[in-house]
Amino acid sequence: MRALGLKITKIISALCILHFAFFVVTKAQEPTPGPPKSVKIPAVKVKKLANGLTVAVVERKNVPLVTISLLIRNGADSEGVAKAGLANMTATLLTKGTKTRSATQIAEQIEFLGGSISSGAGWNSSSIDVSLAADKVDQAMSIMADVALNSRFDQKEIDLLKTQIQDGLAYNLTQPGFLANYVASVYSFNEHPSGGTTDSIKAITKADIVRFKSVNYKPTDAVLIFTGDISAVKANALATRFFAAWKSTPVRVEKATLEMRRPIVNAKSTDLLNRLVVIDLPNSGQAAVNYFKPIRSEGRAVCFDVMRCQTEENFYPASVMNSVLGGGYSSRLNQEIRIKRGLSYGAGSGFSWRKASSNFGARTQTKNESAAEVAELVLAEIRKMTETAVSEKELNPRKLVVTGDFGRDLETTGGLAGAISDVYSYSLSTDELNSFMPSVQAVTAEQIRKFSSDFLKGGDIIIVGDYKVFKDDLAKRFPNVKLQVIKAEGLNLNNLAK
Amino acid sequence: MRKIFGVVAIALTLAVVSFAQVRIAPLNLKERTLSNGMKVVSLQDKSVPTVSIHLWYNVGSKNDPNGRSGFAHMFEHMMFKSTKNMQSEKFDRITEDVGGFNNASTGDDFTNYYQVVPSNYLELLLWAEADRMINLNVDEANFISERDVVKEEFRQRILANPYGRLFGQYIEQLSFTVHPYKRPGIGNLEELQAALPADAREFYQTFYRPDNAALVVVGDFDQAQFDGWVDKYFGKLAKPNGVIPRVTVTEPARTEEKRYRKFAPNVPFPAVVINFLGPKSNSEDIPALQVAETILSGGESSRLYQSLVYNQQIAQEAAFSVDNRTDGGLLYFYAIASEGKTAEALEKSLLAELEKIQTVPVTLKELQKAKNQLITQALRQIETNDGKAGAIESAMIYEGDANAVNNAISKVQKVTAADVDRVMKTYFTQKNRVVIYYQQGDESK
Repeated sequence: MRALGLKITKIISALCILHFAFFVVTKAQEPTPGPPKSVKIPAVKVKKLANGLTVAVVERKNVPLVTISLLIRNGADSEGVAKAGLANMTATLLTKGTKTRSATQIAEQIEFLGGSISSGAGWNSSSIDVSLAADKVDQAMSIMADVALNSRFDQKEIDLLKTQIQDGLAYNLTQPGFLANYVASVYSFNEHPSGGTTDSIKAITKADIVRFKSVNYKPTDAVLIFTGDISAVKANALATRFFAAWKSTPVRVEKATLEMRRPIVNAKSTDLLNRLVVIDLPNSGQAAVNYFKPIRSEGRAVCFDVMRCQTEENFYPASVMNSVLGGGYSSRLNQEIRIKRGLSYGAGSGFSWRKASSNFGARTQTKNESAAEVAELVLAEIRKMTETAVSEKELNPRKLVVTGDFGRDLETTGGLAGAISDVYSYSLSTDELNSFMPSVQAVTAEQIRKFSSDFLKGGDIIIVGDYKVFKDDLAKRFPNVKLQVIKAEGLNLNNLAK
Repeated sequence: MRKIFGVVAIALTLAVVSFAQVRIAPLNLKERTLSNGMKVVSLQDKSVPTVSIHLWYNVGSKNDPNGRSGFAHMFEHMMFKSTKNMQSEKFDRITEDVGGFNNASTGDDFTNYYQVVPSNYLELLLWAEADRMINLNVDEANFISERDVVKEEFRQRILANPYGRLFGQYIEQLSFTVHPYKRPGIGNLEELQAALPADAREFYQTFYRPDNAALVVVGDFDQAQFDGWVDKYFGKLAKPNGVIPRVTVTEPARTEEKRYRKFAPNVPFPAVVINFLGPKSNSEDIPALQVAETILSGGESSRLYQSLVYNQQIAQEAAFSVDNRTDGGLLYFYAIASEGKTAEALEKSLLAELEKIQTVPVTLKELQKAKNQLITQALRQIETNDGKAGAIESAMIYEGDANAVNNAISKVQKVTAADVDRVMKTYFTQKNRVVIYYQQGDESK
């Protein structure tokens, strides 16, 4: 104790000296930044092959790396609820065996080149992605084309993948954050988890996979993207050499009709909170506290037909709104929950953009004891968004957060390919990359308030955690709200929200 | 001839190392040591109008005070609070708010603070870093709130994740006996709660000083202007008196195999960790160990994936990892079981793979594959200014030399099958082995 006291005294005297130093030296000298330089958006060279395959190339030579992505504009939106996970299984299995290569040979050959190959599906798209050194591109393309066009779908590989997905689910469902999203996909969004459920994965057969592939993988609905140290001439030559023989099968793509499956929530609800749900996970190390709201009919794009869409008018206001509310470290949710009150390691929000119908979620994790308090704080911040316009002083930095993130994403070949994939997966033009930054800058505070008021109200609070710990506090803080408590153990998504 | 690094012509006068057709130009670093002892490394690269700034201090979790596990990390959080000249979270105002970002991390051997900002903000950031090096306030309200944040970080990483206790607590606690590496960097709720603002002031005074710091800046700047700013803001900081305390304890060699069985709630599948004490991070054996790491667990064609995950289907994940630390880290195998499989089965198969690589030399094809994978990895790391700054920083921390960043690939290229054979026989002995089983059960057992 004495020693500690002594040290404090020493530090206090040291601080006095520094205080003096600051006054004389630094206070007057906070440097002023010079004029900003503009970020260059790379030009995308686009070409179409005779079979309808679009080829998009961005050449950038600073590092001898290339990323190649084959984007298929169909994903979980084409699979249907009973076969949830089918799009992702189909895409994943592409790299697990072709007519001439086993799964092990595919991995062996691409990894011998120092590269990697991965495949999977999101909501609106599926993809195969390869990344490797620039001098190995020719060899990698022959593997990639083989995987895309000649997949074998061995029963043995299907069975192994099913086991892996089931094990992954069992693992993820012990985590409160994952569990909340999983429940929300059905309960709040009236969709299905795109990775599948225990039951849906069980139900998927080889015939489903073969059919999904033949219906959804067509050159007319695909884009081959090259980014990095490769010229457009070379990329186009490779695309022609390896993909010109790819023919479309004449089957119409049937999208799951989301609008019909979304009757539960009135998009323009006047109440902020629709439902309050607790998923009871005893002994959970934390509680996940979330607010979920489907943004019905407000998707990423407005489409004139399947292939021709433009950005939906609310996309940019929504993106900037999110930056204010829950995007980045200094957003309001993180300010209130983490920085001011120390209630979480992080709090944020985001949209899952889909071509047609998008979802909004605010998410955080806190100790079980403070779950109800945090739920109140989340709701208060969302309410504020819907009621009060953001000041210019707050708005401008939050716009720069969005444009800064976008610019940094484009610095790597992988990030660049991702941005191009993103644009194509919504059937938008690559001009979108150029208009992104000015469109963010053009968003007004009133657009944000109106968007929030129109679309953020009427969502669900879903808390996943050790219910007995916060039960009383929750009842006290939400006295007039009907509460539904569901046990995590034996959870069945089919019995939710009917 | 192919132009390297676009507009940056720096490489032209330097030797260019060639691997097949891919060429990687060395990073043309400019190094200085200021009169107060602070090291400065810079690399100009004007391909994008941003700059990455890394400032790292030679203090890490191994320097946590006694009874204050997790303190170095918690203190890292305090560095974003107010100084004599800046309000709390000023760093966010001059990074995030202008289209950049910032973060910090605490390792066993270092603490680093880093930002990427539009290049016209470089001077302001240098001013601000210099300011928080000497002028930090530690006020009680901020300290308590940030202590709560770190406790939530502990709950999120360690308690809410089913394998958090294994990878974030038990491995370190059970693998080191005397070296402070035995105390997990994230700490524990009791010792975090016990920490006081006075501890923070003392820690700051002891370790945050120019002669314990190194600045790495990569990106769009004018060299003369940058050097001038460094002199102006860092050059005039006084070198404090007093010796910086260093960890001098050596972890003794293990003398017999140790086995442990640990339990935690909500663990869906058993897991096993088998680890061995490894060499110091600047050891000549590290490149051969990294090649072995890639052969054993780099991608789906790797030996552990092929054996445990693909063929036997007893694991959903199986890997070998070189956990590099300046005072000697861990070489560890781990696997997480598939449904219905046991930790015993995982251990048996991991050890079988170990025995195989110890008794049958790796093939030339495997060796070449691993090298190709490591070269591509190195290329990915230098794609951005921030990636380059991080690579330079790691070279300084782990090899004591910024320029080691330029030798990493040639060191990997020189590794032979005999080198792999030698390191696998040297470190992976039965008496150097700690085995941890981890599964669902009562944590207090």
